[in-house]
Amino acid sequence: MDRELLLEIGTEEIPASWLPGLTIQVGQALEARLKEARLSLDEPIETYSTPRRLTARVGKIGERQDDREELVMGPPVSAAFNADGQLTPAGAGFAKKQGVAEDAIERIATAKGEYLGVRKHHRGKTAVDVLPEVLSGLLRSLTFPRHMRWDAELADGKGDLPFGRPIRWLLYLYGGRVVPFSISRSAPAQHGLVQDVVAGASTYGHRFLTMSGRPGRAIKVKHFDDYKKRLSENFVVIERSERHDRIARELDAEARRRGGRVASALVGHAILEEVPDLVEYPVVVSGTFSEEFLKLPEEVLSTTMIHHQHFFPVSNDHGKLLPVFLAVLNMEPEKPEIIAKNMERVLTARLRDARFFLESDRKKPLDAHVERLSTVLFHKKLGSYLEKSARVEKLAREICTRIFVRPDLADHAAAAGRLCKADLATDMVRELTELQGTMGGIYARESGAPEEVWKAIYYHYLPVGVEANSPPGKEQLGSAAITWAAVSLADKLDTVAGMFRAGERPTGSRDPYGLRRSAQGLVRLLVDLPELTGLNLRITLGQLVDESGLDEAFWSFMMDRVRFVLEQRGFDTRNVRSVTHGAPAALSPLVARRKLETLPEFTDTMEFQQLAALFKRVKNIARNLASDAPDLGGTLTEPAELALATSVNSLGPVIEGTVEAGTGYRQAFAAAATLGPSVARFFDDVMVMAEDPKLRDARLRLLKRLEGLILQLADVSEIVPEEK
Amino acid sequence: MTFQDLIFQLTSFWASRGCLIQQGLDLEVGAGTSHPETLLRVLGPTPWNVAYVQPSRRPDDGRFGQNPNRLFKHHQLQVILKPSPDEIQRIYLESLEAVGINPRQHDIRFEEDNWESPTLGAWGIGWQVMLDGMEISQFTYFQQVGGIDLSPVSAEITYGLERIAMFLQKVDNVFDLHWGGGRSYGDVRMREEVEQSKYAFNRDTGIGRERYSAFHRSQFDETFKFGQELLAGGLLLPALEYCLKCSHLFNLLDSSGSVGVTERTAYILRVRQLAIAICKQYAAQVTPEASSPKAEP
Repeated sequence: MDRELLLEIGTEEIPASWLPGLTIQVGQALEARLKEARLSLDEPIETYSTPRRLTARVGKIGERQDDREELVMGPPVSAAFNADGQLTPAGAGFAKKQGVAEDAIERIATAKGEYLGVRKHHRGKTAVDVLPEVLSGLLRSLTFPRHMRWDAELADGKGDLPFGRPIRWLLYLYGGRVVPFSISRSAPAQHGLVQDVVAGASTYGHRFLTMSGRPGRAIKVKHFDDYKKRLSENFVVIERSERHDRIARELDAEARRRGGRVASALVGHAILEEVPDLVEYPVVVSGTFSEEFLKLPEEVLSTTMIHHQHFFPVSNDHGKLLPVFLAVLNMEPEKPEIIAKNMERVLTARLRDARFFLESDRKKPLDAHVERLSTVLFHKKLGSYLEKSARVEKLAREICTRIFVRPDLADHAAAAGRLCKADLATDMVRELTELQGTMGGIYARESGAPEEVWKAIYYHYLPVGVEANSPPGKEQLGSAAITWAAVSLADKLDTVAGMFRAGERPTGSRDPYGLRRSAQGLVRLLVDLPELTGLNLRITLGQLVDESGLDEAFWSFMMDRVRFVLEQRGFDTRNVRSVTHGAPAALSPLVARRKLETLPEFTDTMEFQQLAALFKRVKNIARNLASDAPDLGGTLTEPAELALATSVNSLGPVIEGTVEAGTGYRQAFAAAATLGPSVARFFDDVMVMAEDPKLRDARLRLLKRLEGLILQLADVSEIVPEEK
Repeated sequence: MTFQDLIFQLTSFWASRGCLIQQGLDLEVGAGTSHPETLLRVLGPTPWNVAYVQPSRRPDDGRFGQNPNRLFKHHQLQVILKPSPDEIQRIYLESLEAVGINPRQHDIRFEEDNWESPTLGAWGIGWQVMLDGMEISQFTYFQQVGGIDLSPVSAEITYGLERIAMFLQKVDNVFDLHWGGGRSYGDVRMREEVEQSKYAFNRDTGIGRERYSAFHRSQFDETFKFGQELLAGGLLLPALEYCLKCSHLFNLLDSSGSVGVTERTAYILRVRQLAIAICKQYAAQVTPEASSPKAEP
């Protein structure tokens, strides 16, 4: 324990969604700061967190900084000595400034010639002397989705210390002793009730629970094991995984006690991943609600429970919801039934509200809600959602007819396009915004719309995730797969292209209209179009987008989104770049995906690497071919160039045929790879830039043809293995 | 505990913690934040602790007295602590104990919920406080008002009084609350809710849509213009009142469906410009240099 480092940043409640990332950041920042401070990490960093604390522990760190050699460079030797070999004033001045005797000066050879130099040895300071800097660096380097000012300052010369939430205490121990550190409070806040935060040896337990003494009192600790034990006696479980597992276990048991199981199909992972970061000491209770609410659409019931209350719905063995909910408390109450009763009342009030909204929305058909969209603003330059609906209707019809070539479904796609935003004007969605799209779909279904229409509305916000298995799946879409794809593409295109035309492009972390997400959804749909819809179409971005009013920034944004989606699928970054070269408008994300699925089989072969390594040269040299050079043919003579020409001529049709057909890329890449040795031999034996202009042009033309052929597959020069 | 007892208990708790007890603003506002005791007092360096009940009107939430949880007008207890004391969360929890909510018998959470009012150029960071799954308070560290960074930072606590009273009285319908003196909340306020909702949505009023809209538009224009004149004359508090009246008139135009989308944005922008101009001028007058000689008692 004598060299253990223990840090706890005690805060007011940190938002649950920040905690997992923040916990990782604390570990990384501590490691980086310790490295910067030249303190060795002799054991790995462990991190822990609850809503009220960020904790890091290292079993052993160095007792003092590593010593450091510093080489201070002076003037060039030529200027430091005169003709007699004596130091010039410049040379002597350097020695004096560095505080060393003249004989301690060395001559250092550099690329620019010999220079004077002095080697200095710095003895490392003790850990305790450097650890305060480590903490201030760490506090500065943490980033939060939103920072707040809380009248706090650090004495590091940078002043104000914004943070995610106010820091209330600091536990900072090295070898069981407090490392001196404090956060001071800015002058305008100086007040009896506003104090500096001074690092100490105390932590604080659960706000309301303790085994002994007064809840919330300061608890002195000596080292990590002691810390963990004392916190556990004071109802704080610092291991997130322990809270998570306890919650999962208790939910399961409580659901079974109520005769059902957690309705995991509805719950998804999100809430079970969020709840552990909302509590320090989880306990599960259950409650019931009146059976009459089971008549509400399942989506409404579960959204009310999950999104608004963090409650878990319970279903029977057939997946049917029971009038039961589970809740995770941050409390071990004396009488859990009182809390459950209160929660039942809150839930009942919300469900009653939901039923009221549902009934009032149903008084009018969905069509009638579209009119009210004139009062809902989409964007000030792009008009209201009524105007957007009209654009989506038109575009969905067009995509269905012209691109999908399914004119038979165009009316359904157009109807869904016109209605897809209507639910934004309903009371239910104004209240439960998470249900946008879903409610529109439900209302359309209730009013007798065919599946091709209502499901297209229901799912039109999807896909959100970029993974191949993210929803919706083909079986969910049923007979609406094609109309859904048309509406989903139309909606996202209208948003992304429209916003770019209106000058709203995302910058850095600012993307207030979620354009990246929309564009990724669009790309993902194109990438998986055959699996999702049965349409085997290689749609290019240019086919979908009306280019007017869009500049380079839009296309490079789209290109980045395509690359992002493909990289998220696990494809190698270099491979992704190689198949997404050239004009973004000409790119088909599906073709890129198909190429990437076979490309890795070849990239490691000798032949392919040969081709890749030489391809940049091919491109560079081929540039010398004058565009108006006449094709004289038949001028080639050298065996190596004749061999390459023969290979290009025989393999060309294989590659071109594949590109034309859009399938069989394995064969095409194999063909391309076989060109590798011929290209290598060509460059070894043949002088491209021959004196004879006819011969030179013939050689350039051969390379140009080769380049054009390979580029149809990929810009393989992107795949060259990194230099070792 | 009756509704009025709850108000007494909470205000006397905060009085005992050094807050001035003020009265709610005698104008139509949607929240206690609009009160100059919050909006202006949080600007500048002078410490200020104050609490008051603010009757808050939200035309859009009117439900004709038919909904057990929603009201055209509800009551907030607003507390401003400037600067925010370190122990603010603990003090807040003590205030709950003062009205009989024992934190050891309930599940009390501070869940992320930030606050923003584009109309006032104001935002803050904070939580909603959940009591057994019900939101009972809003807790905000003010970061900016009128587009101005605040230093020091103030803490704002807003208690939803009806909600807390319903919890304490175990009542499911707000109109069943005991107000005091043997009277229910419905006895005191039902008629007002019904009539004000009708007015807010212009339903069953016999007043034509055109007339309703034209009247409120001209009121808005006149009020706005006069607010600007007051501001030009350096009368910041009266100017703020006219600004708040505009905000309420706009809310009525909105709830009655009298404004289209482009107009809506334009109305909001006008209120915002006036509010920000007022805050900026006020802030310039209460800088540390300007206020220190006078502000010290």
